[in-house]
Amino acid sequence: MSTSFYLQLLIAGISVGSVYALVALAIVIPFKASGVLNFGQGELATVGAYAALVLIEAGLPYPLVAILVIGVGGLAGMAIERLLIRPIAGAPAFTLVIATFAIGLAIKSAISIHWGDTPHSISGPFGDDPLTLGTLRINPTSLWIVFCTVLVTLLLTGFFRYVRAGKAMRAVALNAEAASLMGIRINGVYRWAWAISAAIGALAGLLVAPVVGVNPEIGQLILRGLVAAVIGGFTSIIGAVVGGISVGLLETFAGVWVGGAMKNLTPFLVLLVLLAFRPQGLFGSREVYRV
Amino acid sequence: MFDTALRPVHILYGTGALLVLLAGTTLGSYPSYLISLALINVIAAVGLNLLVGNSGQISLCHSSFMAIGAYGSSMLTAMFGLPFWLSIPCAALGAAAVGALLGMPARRLSGIYLALATLAFLQIVQIAIEESADFTGGVRGLDVPKAFFWPSVPVGPRSLFFVVAGACALSIWSAANLLKSKLGREINAARLSPHAAQALGVSVARVKLTAFALSAAYAGLAGGLLSLVVGFVEPNEFGISAALRQLTFIVVGGMGSLAGSVLGALALSGLPELLRSAKEYSDLASALILLASLLFMPRGLVTLWQHLTVRTAHPVARPHRSPAK
Repeated sequence: MSTSFYLQLLIAGISVGSVYALVALAIVIPFKASGVLNFGQGELATVGAYAALVLIEAGLPYPLVAILVIGVGGLAGMAIERLLIRPIAGAPAFTLVIATFAIGLAIKSAISIHWGDTPHSISGPFGDDPLTLGTLRINPTSLWIVFCTVLVTLLLTGFFRYVRAGKAMRAVALNAEAASLMGIRINGVYRWAWAISAAIGALAGLLVAPVVGVNPEIGQLILRGLVAAVIGGFTSIIGAVVGGISVGLLETFAGVWVGGAMKNLTPFLVLLVLLAFRPQGLFGSREVYRV
Repeated sequence: MFDTALRPVHILYGTGALLVLLAGTTLGSYPSYLISLALINVIAAVGLNLLVGNSGQISLCHSSFMAIGAYGSSMLTAMFGLPFWLSIPCAALGAAAVGALLGMPARRLSGIYLALATLAFLQIVQIAIEESADFTGGVRGLDVPKAFFWPSVPVGPRSLFFVVAGACALSIWSAANLLKSKLGREINAARLSPHAAQALGVSVARVKLTAFALSAAYAGLAGGLLSLVVGFVEPNEFGISAALRQLTFIVVGGMGSLAGSVLGALALSGLPELLRSAKEYSDLASALILLASLLFMPRGLVTLWQHLTVRTAHPVARPHRSPAK
């Protein structure tokens, strides 16, 4: 096995991991702001992928499709927050877990009723011909996915550091009551947190669609996204990204070295071990309770 | 107070038993097959409610323990020629042991972290079944050997129905007694006030672990019976949508209530049958029912029942108005 083979694997792993990183980001943002872990997040990626399918078949150019898909995702996120999450905000963890799961299942089954289970293929923005770089052959879609993930990460970091709304979101995450006393509208923060998260989820769907095909099972991404979020400690942007890319690399290399079964199994074994021994993740800090 | 509140339930169970007896002797094979499935759902729901409703732990992997029961019992029969009354209890014990193993790390987790751990476990079981095709048939599924009482005495469809009904009655009876026992009170205490329970000498960690193992045993029993009734098992039957369907039973019925488990499972078992002509709508309907139930009736159908009985038995005292001058 040559270096170029491993380099190629590395790129594949990072590219797959970037999608997981996006899903992990989409999970972490509303969780940090409102304490709700959206188990239906994967289905927002499915929504993004199908939105892309419809828009591309309508003959729109890719940049416009991308913008519209992100917009559709954001609106879907706002609608879910307003109609389904807000009425049960503050309910026990169980209710929220099951409700978000049910939302995901409802979206998925509605999509599979309308479009059926057979995958539709769409092409990426740069076609499917691999770029050749010496002995390396790289799928341009992979590079595009990595690029978008880096862009989203930078934008989010800037948003939370410099933009007023981002800072408000951080304040609410830290202490919702104090933030509301300082004049921050908590409901607005929740709405935007869900909109941003769902938009990122939809983007992940748009990006992954050319690789795996548009099908109702795209939502399965949530599982890897959750593993990534746990590795990242559920709180930081950078943690989620590193977590996503580690899951991608882990899966790719486990698949090559140990075999196909291990490829699917590894992320979940890692998750169980992490939860058993280090539930705060590799990057997170331990929660301290005062009695 | 408890006695008067429970008595109507006893009558209900008596009527239910009579109805099942009547159904088993008179109905044709397809209706009794459907009733068997409903009764198996009741067993699974009883186990899940013990864990989720009573001990207050989230579980997204109840269907995995059913898978262990189903695959375990059919493999025991196929490989060692065990009769069902040995293979199913053995598989249920196996499921309980795995449940206890999973409960070990779960003792320290709660809320979403427990949800994540159980979700990971569900995936691991699913992948393990799919990948070890030599034993389990993989994604193509596994034909379950015909059930027999004794190698020369096969179990006919009618007696299988009564086996299932008996197992269901046993499950309800054992869970009812369990909930009234010391352990049952400890399980409820671990949910309602873990700190107070701990201070009173209840080992909350041990109680949570026990709840996990017990719940898995019920699921294992349900899984073993399901494999016999259906005659075929495939990994898809035990995925996340099955786990959610079982959660729907207890949410719709009533969390932490035995009557709720029974009510919810029976009420919703008919759903796939109602939607038989539009099979693809069954997941959507189930998800919407779950959501509606969480939003509008978070304590389940059983509260309607309690409303009726408690109101009539003990009219709630209204606050007195100050007398008008």
